[in-house]
Amino acid sequence: MNKQLEKLISLHDLDVMIADLGRKDIIKREMEMGLQSDDALEELKKLREEYCGSINRKWRGLYNQLTRHYGNAVVPALMGRCAGCLTRLPTAVCSDPERNMKIHTCPTCGRIIYWAD
Amino acid sequence: MKYTALCKFELSATSREEAIAELLGLFPVGERSQNLLAGALDIREKVGATVVHNTIVLPHCRSILVDKLTIAVGRSEAGIGWPDKKIHTVILFVSPVRLNAPQDHTRFLSHIAGRIKKYGDKIVTAENQKELLDLLGFQHEELESR
Repeated sequence: MNKQLEKLISLHDLDVMIADLGRKDIIKREMEMGLQSDDALEELKKLREEYCGSINRKWRGLYNQLTRHYGNAVVPALMGRCAGCLTRLPTAVCSDPERNMKIHTCPTCGRIIYWAD
Repeated sequence: MKYTALCKFELSATSREEAIAELLGLFPVGERSQNLLAGALDIREKVGATVVHNTIVLPHCRSILVDKLTIAVGRSEAGIGWPDKKIHTVILFVSPVRLNAPQDHTRFLSHIAGRIKKYGDKIVTAENQKELLDLLGFQHEELESR
């Protein structure tokens, strides 16, 4: 898998973790179980900054732009379709065994696509 | 809630990283995805260890790399360093990132919290895989709905 694509997927998961720490229901449940630390959010934000620094500026810019617009910048391809907008993706790209070796975007919504291995 | 529950009753891992890798090895995803999930779980553990009930640990996260809640339960007789506490039961789970997934994630946390509160000691001393999964309220392999 393309290293930048891997980093974008990890950045997306990190952003989900940060968003979850802002959700009252999840915080409440995790607090009850003793799983929340007070400075977790700050630590995650610091990690995010470090992580962003290792991502190519072009892809980081696209990621941030897509996240602002859709809320999710990276989506899997499901049955040849973009899981974000359900547009059918080009057959040539979907059937390429090396499809994850470069970063592909959905021709309609522009989201970054990956194929589950 | 759809989920996949997997179990490895005798973990060979002795460290947190090894245990996470061993349980992720049960996941129906490729090696690359397993590595990315291990990274996400490692981050989650670094910002706050997920040890509950003394010897039970709950490494978890939400990720776009799974399409449904995937749970892998592991037991270690010898114990696993997590990293400064010795734990014996690992309940690792990864929830998908979907519109209704945060609610599912919270529901599952509630479910597991209830089970640990009720059967904590029994979970730690379960004698076989079936008993362990029964106490946690899971069925082995795949469940379409519950």
